[in-house]
Amino acid sequence: MAARDLLETSRKDLARVLGTTKERIIFTSGGTEADSIAMLSTMTSTAPRSIVISAIEHAAIYEQARVLKSLGTTVIMIKPDHAGFIDPAAVAAAVRPDTVLVAVMAVNNETGAIQPIKAIASAVREAAAGSGRRPFVHCDAVQALGKIPVEPELWGVDGVAFSAHKLGGPRGCGALFLGTSIRPLACGGGQESGIRPGTHNTPGAWAFAQSAIRATQMLDTSMATARHLEELLIDGVDSIPGASVIPNSRRPGDQRYSPYILSMAFPGLGGETMLRLLDEAGIAVSTGAACSGSKKERRVFDAMGIEPSLSFASLRVSIGRSTDDHDIFAFLEAASAAYARYRL
Amino acid sequence: MIDTLYLIKIGEIRLKEGNRAEFERTLRQDLTRRLATIEHHLSSREGRFYLKFDSTHAEQVEFILSRTPGINGWARSLRAPKDMQSITKAAHQVLETAMSRGAITFKIEARRSDKSFELDSYGIARTIGSSILDTHADIGVDVHHPDITIFVEIREKAYVYGDGSPGVRGLPVGSGGRGLLLLSGGIDSPVAGFRMLSRGLALESLYFHSHPYTSQQAWDKVRDLALNLATFSGGMLLHTIQFTEVQLKIKKDAPADRSTLYLRACMMMAADMVARSRVLNAIVTGESLGQVASQTAENMRFTESYTTYPVLRPLVGTDKEDTIRAAKSIGTYELSILPYEDCCVLFSPKHPVLKAQFNAEREAFGLTGLTDVVTEAVRTMQTLSLPFSFTPPRAEARR
Repeated sequence: MAARDLLETSRKDLARVLGTTKERIIFTSGGTEADSIAMLSTMTSTAPRSIVISAIEHAAIYEQARVLKSLGTTVIMIKPDHAGFIDPAAVAAAVRPDTVLVAVMAVNNETGAIQPIKAIASAVREAAAGSGRRPFVHCDAVQALGKIPVEPELWGVDGVAFSAHKLGGPRGCGALFLGTSIRPLACGGGQESGIRPGTHNTPGAWAFAQSAIRATQMLDTSMATARHLEELLIDGVDSIPGASVIPNSRRPGDQRYSPYILSMAFPGLGGETMLRLLDEAGIAVSTGAACSGSKKERRVFDAMGIEPSLSFASLRVSIGRSTDDHDIFAFLEAASAAYARYRL
Repeated sequence: MIDTLYLIKIGEIRLKEGNRAEFERTLRQDLTRRLATIEHHLSSREGRFYLKFDSTHAEQVEFILSRTPGINGWARSLRAPKDMQSITKAAHQVLETAMSRGAITFKIEARRSDKSFELDSYGIARTIGSSILDTHADIGVDVHHPDITIFVEIREKAYVYGDGSPGVRGLPVGSGGRGLLLLSGGIDSPVAGFRMLSRGLALESLYFHSHPYTSQQAWDKVRDLALNLATFSGGMLLHTIQFTEVQLKIKKDAPADRSTLYLRACMMMAADMVARSRVLNAIVTGESLGQVASQTAENMRFTESYTTYPVLRPLVGTDKEDTIRAAKSIGTYELSILPYEDCCVLFSPKHPVLKAQFNAEREAFGLTGLTDVVTEAVRTMQTLSLPFSFTPPRAEARR
């Protein structure tokens, strides 16, 4: 098969997985580039403008927004509630006549909170209806694809960003769903309809499409397993004296959260210290905040109104395709022993 | 082939007439040890060292000379027979090298310890000076700010050399005894160590590690700092004591506002034990009065009471800016500011006690039973011998 055919087949495959047409799929080098194509397209007009983003966006959106702000764009930030959710009405209320872009992520990478994207998109459309303008509604769905149903057309959004490695595909490969036409800031050889000019990564695109097909086929089975592990994990954390999940209102089986991501806190023991102890026990988890607890590292929890004493003692556990009951038990055992021994 | 001669000025040593021989012997031993891997010949006469070696080792030799306390400076030197024709020829050679680097003014500084030489100092300078002015139309004399000073020394031979390079000065390592440096990952303690090394104190270093609260990177950083100090001391022992149990006990049994004070007392107590077993004579810290709220005279008196050794604090009256400048000049600053937490913030009290009441605090501390925990921690101390290195670790490599 010629390289071009392979690329176009991959595009068609990925489009089918997303319930859209292949013209709307732009291959990129990853989630960050997909986000920045959408974000930076707002710079191709010189009119005064604002953008509305959630305060819990991934750095790919959040840091890019800071750059736009330094270049004169007004950035309006929407805070989540204590449980980590963005209120569609709050987003709609923030939209101004000069708002050119709204960005809210599908699944938060620290809390697992699934944002009501469809409701947000329709609330934004309604709010903007009178102004004659049509803000670009963007969604970073890097943590969603292959984990929960992803339906850009149904959501009614204009852009959705994906990354292949989050669903078992190769690193350095991603895609942008583009439901409307934009003028990109970066120009070049005209590849990907000129939206993402630059040499194609054909094998990456193919591998991405294949892993997306597989992950989507297994969506329900994987979800059932993940929900089961989530329950073990939340119940286990709650049984460790002093420890709690973040937000502490999150219960097992809550459909509003992705079961693949869970944050928790071990107050009195820095997240970084716990990470080190677990690493020595052969368990890989992550932490958003170091012992020094800089503001930047805690911004998602700060936005949710989580106490600093909890956020800097926080830990994030991700459930992967190969995670099983034993892994959860091993984690709980190691974490609880470390906590009992080194809690301050 | 041994073809190069460096004349080494050994500064301050010369002032101490009574102890000169002893100091020279110490410096000589130290230099010989550092030069072990380089074929060389080292001799001394009248307060000068003469080092001969193969010019291909010049870079390594200069690295050593620039980092050996007790050396005031050095210069590559030409040796000539004691006649004015040969001496003048050598002076031309030194001048022409300087002119090729842009010198347009010069000055001759002559000295003779051999008083039987045909000319006196003034005569030597005048003879060479006029020869140079006769030969070169494009160079002039400037006795105040010359681009190049040509030194001529008449000893058992004539030595001719230009402006040399400065050394760290001070006194040879070991001439002032042996001490224990409390080395943390911060900016101050490596500078404190350097200051004492250059005053002649041989040093071993002691680091308190708190696994899991402090990371492996934090220890690596301290080792790298010690390796940098080792370039000045010619190798160094780094002792590591796991202080986790001590910190946990303090957290559990001591009042929260005393935790920093008691931790420092425990460190001093541990340092005392190490100094005793290693047969050292002093403890060196990077403390500076008032630099953090708890570094007060009252608190220093309290912590110091847990050792009978002199506690040397070379930075006690030093401004932080000056310490930073010193850290940059000895090459430890960039390593020190690498962001690996030295100690978890959870251990630090929000409002530490600022002025310890000596007797009451000693009594309260005595009741905590910390001495046993400290003794046990010292018992499991680990020691690493760090070699002298021509390429000590730099911060850039770790980023």
